[in-house]
Amino acid sequence: MPGLSFVPQVIVNGILFGSMYGTAAIGLSLIFGTMRIVFIAQGAVIVLFAYFSFWLFDKLGIDPYLSLIPIILVSLLIGAAFYYGLFKEAAALKDRIGSLLIAVGLMFFLENFMTVVWTPNPRAVVTSYGFYAFNIFGIHLTLTRLIGLLLAVLATVGVSTFLRKTLMGTAVRATSEDVEASTLMGINPDRVNAVTFAIGIGLAAIAGTTMATTYSFDPVYGFEFAIKALVALTLGGIGRVYGALLGGILLGLIELLGTFFVGAGWSQAIVFGVFLLTLIFRPYGLFGGPSEKV
Amino acid sequence: MKDKIDTYLKKDKRNISIIIIALVIIVFGALPFYSDVDSFFAYYLFLCLLYIILAQGWNLVAGYTGQISLGTHAFFALGAYTTAIIWLNDVTKTWYYFDPLVMIISGFVPAIFAILIGIPLLSRLRGDYFSFGTLAAAEVLRILILRGGTFTQGAMGLRLPAEGFTGMGIYYWTALLLAILATAAVYFITRSRIGLALRALSEDETSAASHGVHILRYKVLAFAIGSFFMGICGSLFAYYLFIVSPPAVMNLNWMFLPILICVLGGNGTIFGPIIGAFVVGALFSYGDVFVGQVHPMLSGILIILVMKFMPTGIMGLKDRIFARR
Repeated sequence: MPGLSFVPQVIVNGILFGSMYGTAAIGLSLIFGTMRIVFIAQGAVIVLFAYFSFWLFDKLGIDPYLSLIPIILVSLLIGAAFYYGLFKEAAALKDRIGSLLIAVGLMFFLENFMTVVWTPNPRAVVTSYGFYAFNIFGIHLTLTRLIGLLLAVLATVGVSTFLRKTLMGTAVRATSEDVEASTLMGINPDRVNAVTFAIGIGLAAIAGTTMATTYSFDPVYGFEFAIKALVALTLGGIGRVYGALLGGILLGLIELLGTFFVGAGWSQAIVFGVFLLTLIFRPYGLFGGPSEKV
Repeated sequence: MKDKIDTYLKKDKRNISIIIIALVIIVFGALPFYSDVDSFFAYYLFLCLLYIILAQGWNLVAGYTGQISLGTHAFFALGAYTTAIIWLNDVTKTWYYFDPLVMIISGFVPAIFAILIGIPLLSRLRGDYFSFGTLAAAEVLRILILRGGTFTQGAMGLRLPAEGFTGMGIYYWTALLLAILATAAVYFITRSRIGLALRALSEDETSAASHGVHILRYKVLAFAIGSFFMGICGSLFAYYLFIVSPPAVMNLNWMFLPILICVLGGNGTIFGPIIGAFVVGALFSYGDVFVGQVHPMLSGILIILVMKFMPTGIMGLKDRIFARR
């Protein structure tokens, strides 16, 4: 049994790590909420953006936080392209098997594409300030992880504000409540879905940059990550932006505390055990009841 | 008079299809006598038959009740591990290698597991929650196997004694028999009262429930029967590989391939999974040989293209062609 004095450090690490799951989970939540698509390729897309970040840093020497801006712009376009190119018909029919399989196909393609282009070796972006760290009350905090948390919180607040304050955001919320009724109100479901998809992929870009700067990654890491994001989404409740972030942080905490107290192998079992129990007893998530949405 | 002729023709048509099916089964059954069973082609056929068994198990749940299970690999692995554990620990005191008793137990263990996870997952939650839940249950099972100590040997896997191996013939025939049984089971279940109930609840669950269909019972029943076949399939694969390890039997391909096969062939049809299995089997095993490293990339593109342009599968394509005439 390692010393209990490490527990605060583990908790902080769990929060910092979990915020990345949270960012991915918000994207999944939006995509699932409006289109009923289980976008299992989210993890692979995140790793793809991590590679973009790595590439720009490695080849051109662009700082990963600077390259985040063009990557986000590209990711929004990619998201809209995914919707119009791949998911439009399946989303219109609410065909869950169809959209799930398309996402699986996309995941297969991206994973193997990345393996061919960037080799299966794990990569990481190592910047000059990557090891810069603070010590607060004996807790070791690296700058890059803190920036990751900051980005996650900013993204959450941004998406939440967009959904509440803008006309398009209201349309997204309306579509996720009831597609037929929102269409009758004159909302174009295609545009709403494309915007939602773009935001989801944009969040993947943020998670990807955080992943590139703080942890190492390889082409097939994405699937595991997507599953974790699904868990975070369920913990937080589908369709809730802050819930998804909290669910991600909770998941990070469970995972790291489980690793610390029980051991690395078992922590995954604990994560999925909590997931199953949540599905059985609180299918609408741990925070709030079934009636609240977005 | 016309009615009489119609019924006669109908009967005739039915007889013809029975004859065709019997002929196909005989051709497949006699294949080892005029072809080399240890060739790559026979391996491909064996693999296709395994895919048919798994796909029919998945088809029964997804095609007829509309529930998408993402836990096929767990039931498959559970069947394989049951066989290996019974054999290595000498539980049933029988001859183990291709022992019908062991194979049937290997089917029942996943079926019981399916009932245990099916009751909570199918009762309160619908649709996607069931998908997530089966995926999570499979992950829990994977970790239990990896952490099972000497019982499962973790990532190393269990090694079975291979002395009994005589040739591929018995594998081929057992797989053929199981594929026929699985297809027949799906056929008869869908034409019975149970099938009627399953179809009703996949169309409209609330309406089916209000007409007196016990939703949970039928869903869990279909899920358990599907898992039974997946488990026996896993048992057969354990006999084939002689090594039961997580990378071999808990590979995610065992989950994705049955789904792809059903959707490509035609979900919710009897012959769809069979056609799909041969097509997907050819693409994957020959893809490995001819295109090598690039083939998973092409498979990904293929899945997307099929879903985009042929969402009802090959069987649906046939219907569309005949409807146009």
